Amino acid sequence: MMGPQPALEVRHVTKDFGGLRAVDSVSLTVAVGERRVLIGPNGAGKTSLFHCISGAHTISGGEIHCFGNLISHMPEYERAAIGIGRTFQISSVFLGLTVLENIQIAALGTHERKWDLWRRPDQITGIDGLCRKVLEEVGLLDRSQRQLSSLSYGERRQLELGLALVNRPKLLLLDEPCAGLSPAERQRLFSLIKELPRTITIVMIEHDMDVALGLADQVTVLHRGRKIVEGSADQIKEDPQVREVYFGEV
Amino acid sequence: MDSFILQTLNGISYSALLFLLASGFTLTFGLMRIVNMAHGAYYLFGGYVGLMVAKSTGSLALAMVSGGIASVIVGQIVDRLFIRRTGEDHLAQVLVTVGVAYIIGDVSLKTWGGDAQKLPLPLDLRGIWELPGGIIYPKFRVLLTLIGILTGIGLWFIYKRTQIGAAIRAGVDDREMVSATGIHVDRLFILISALASFLAGVSGVLGGAFLTVYPGAEWEILVFALVVVIVGGLGSLEGAMIGAVIVGLLDAYGRWLAPELSYFVLFGPMAILLLYRPRGLFGSVHIA
Amino acid sequence: MTNLKKVLALAALGLMLAWPFITGDYLTGLMTQILIFGLLALSADLLLGHAGLFSLCHASFFSVAAYTAAILQVRYQVPVEVSAICGVLSGTLLGLIFGLSVRTRGVYFILVTLAMGYVVWGIGYRWASFTGGDSGVTGVAAFSLFGFSFSSPKSYYFVVLFVVSALIAVYAHLTASPFGLALRGIKSSEPRMRSLGFNPAKHLYVAFVISSVMASIAGVLYVYFNKFVNPVSASLHVSVDSVLMAIVGGSGSLFGSFIGSAIVLWLRNWVSTFIELHLAVMGLVFIAVVLWAPGGLMGWVHKVTSKSSREMS
Repeated sequence: MMGPQPALEVRHVTKDFGGLRAVDSVSLTVAVGERRVLIGPNGAGKTSLFHCISGAHTISGGEIHCFGNLISHMPEYERAAIGIGRTFQISSVFLGLTVLENIQIAALGTHERKWDLWRRPDQITGIDGLCRKVLEEVGLLDRSQRQLSSLSYGERRQLELGLALVNRPKLLLLDEPCAGLSPAERQRLFSLIKELPRTITIVMIEHDMDVALGLADQVTVLHRGRKIVEGSADQIKEDPQVREVYFGEV
Repeated sequence: MDSFILQTLNGISYSALLFLLASGFTLTFGLMRIVNMAHGAYYLFGGYVGLMVAKSTGSLALAMVSGGIASVIVGQIVDRLFIRRTGEDHLAQVLVTVGVAYIIGDVSLKTWGGDAQKLPLPLDLRGIWELPGGIIYPKFRVLLTLIGILTGIGLWFIYKRTQIGAAIRAGVDDREMVSATGIHVDRLFILISALASFLAGVSGVLGGAFLTVYPGAEWEILVFALVVVIVGGLGSLEGAMIGAVIVGLLDAYGRWLAPELSYFVLFGPMAILLLYRPRGLFGSVHIA
Repeated sequence: MTNLKKVLALAALGLMLAWPFITGDYLTGLMTQILIFGLLALSADLLLGHAGLFSLCHASFFSVAAYTAAILQVRYQVPVEVSAICGVLSGTLLGLIFGLSVRTRGVYFILVTLAMGYVVWGIGYRWASFTGGDSGVTGVAAFSLFGFSFSSPKSYYFVVLFVVSALIAVYAHLTASPFGLALRGIKSSEPRMRSLGFNPAKHLYVAFVISSVMASIAGVLYVYFNKFVNPVSASLHVSVDSVLMAIVGGSGSLFGSFIGSAIVLWLRNWVSTFIELHLAVMGLVFIAVVLWAPGGLMGWVHKVTSKSSREMS
């Protein structure tokens, strides 16, 4: 591949669970600033692949490179420091805490004052400003003092995105960010994502073809753990294999 | 060498007792995700009831059955009144069942007094047997070991080979699926719970003959059973078997070689496991 | 803090300072115990209320610290100040070792800590040649600092009040800090924390050790109050009590552990005057609190006070 170092390089990655092969020798390369969408029917291995990239799963084979770093066996909690951020398919925010506290935790994850045992987070330089900024970006500034129980599901998804954005990730993994949202909420969240700067490389799992096509530079299609097709949005739309996988299986 | 063999036999007989108690605890957790700290109290209560029956009838078998049934009754009451209300909240279960254990323990103390009491054995079970190799060993302990082994085989058979067993194992993994197939999950749970309490009561009776029944026994034996379960893995029957053998033997050797520090011996396998395999030898990852 | 809370806090502080002067030796002693066990409960609550870990071995640190301070002073004539420090250090050392338990979670953690706690009790009981077995270690001198002896109930009360107040202040900062916030994050969602760059294992271990330090301090305070220590101090009952106190008063709050301690100790005192089955009564209290008032007293207060603030927003 010519040109600058890719944001993400997945080489023949495999993930086995006992007898089940969730990810089967998948390879893909995502350029810096690219918007890549991963689609595929349920069970195709998309979330498993994400887990491999983020470090939640240890891979059974292959290699993963991120901005030139070999991260295949790097512990999950170290990957945030090299710029990987992610959201989860099932809402994974901190219940029992306020919106602001949620964002503060995220801000502290890779912060030098993470191990401060004495001062309050808002007393640490920069935290306040950073939190405000992100809350503003995801449209939750007026909700900052609220307990999570009082947020709608859509607002929780916004928060979920905010948590991933706080640390200015270079590679953002979005796992069906709009799942379970009303059409209006989907629109809102989706335009938020579209407006993210190109300094952030985005890989997004999406079920909805149209959403995918609206964002993607490139689309990768997975089926039963394998990559079957890759190309531009229009190419994918017309591809016979894809049609079979999506429509033939109904 | 003779001493070693003797201590090994001691360890094995204790393992049998531990297995009887631990198996109920681990199955209750494995299937129903319930942590029942009153399990030791069921042992105690069953032991006292069995003690009374043994004293008046002289029959060990009757004592075992009545002790078992008494525990089942108490267990069902506790289940319905208290445990059902805790849902999946393990913390609540622990606290509530500890509370129940306190109540049972205190009531037992009031009813049967503070002295350690030994369950009287029928005449033909007293005394010793000569085992192959010329070793002589108390008859009762051999019987205890046999009961432990037979129970183990029985549970194994039910668990692995029968439809009920298959349902239990399926239930461990996916409760909804099991109920969807028409098997009454609730009835299954009652069965398991009753079986566990019964075993606890029976082990209380046997323990009463082996070790005596006394206030505080419910905690002492529970802790040992918990170590068995930690070592073997929560929810695993094989784990309970192997864990029981390990703990029983280590306890026997510990008492023999370093009586004052024998509790350290308990800690040993646990510490090693914590370092290398926190979920226990046969525990599954999703449980912890 | 709102004005009402400030007034209440000042009133409470005033009451605590005046206590020995308005009550006699017996009640002063009781309040001293409330503070000591409240501190033990607080140490357990750092793990329970913030990190979500239910520990049943905190009596071990309490007891080991007490025994160390006692044995050093009684048997080896080590000065009280040094014995006390060694007591805290030994309990902390045990905490560093028992911290291994944070490799487990949930039910396993409860069982492992229960077993570890029992082991300590068992050793205290059986290693009679060293620990004095059943009778424990008696004849512990009164606490003294640089020659000044705090032998009267009144003077020792103030020692305990001072130490506990200082620790509460430290605890307040600790739990409000990024570290405390991280613990609550871990309690809420560990996978999320890992994806954000936190190593939960490290945080939990540090929290465990800090709580063992607090429990050890409580143990040292205890031994100079009681003037003796025996294996009961390491028993499961004590560990269970500390958790119960935290829950009754309100887990996760600053003063809940002390309120819970007051309630439990007072209740036990009162009940044992007319019933012998006080453990059974405690059992009933457990069950009642857990099933019907899981937020404890502070939780109830919160509910009542936030209802009015919710009505405004």
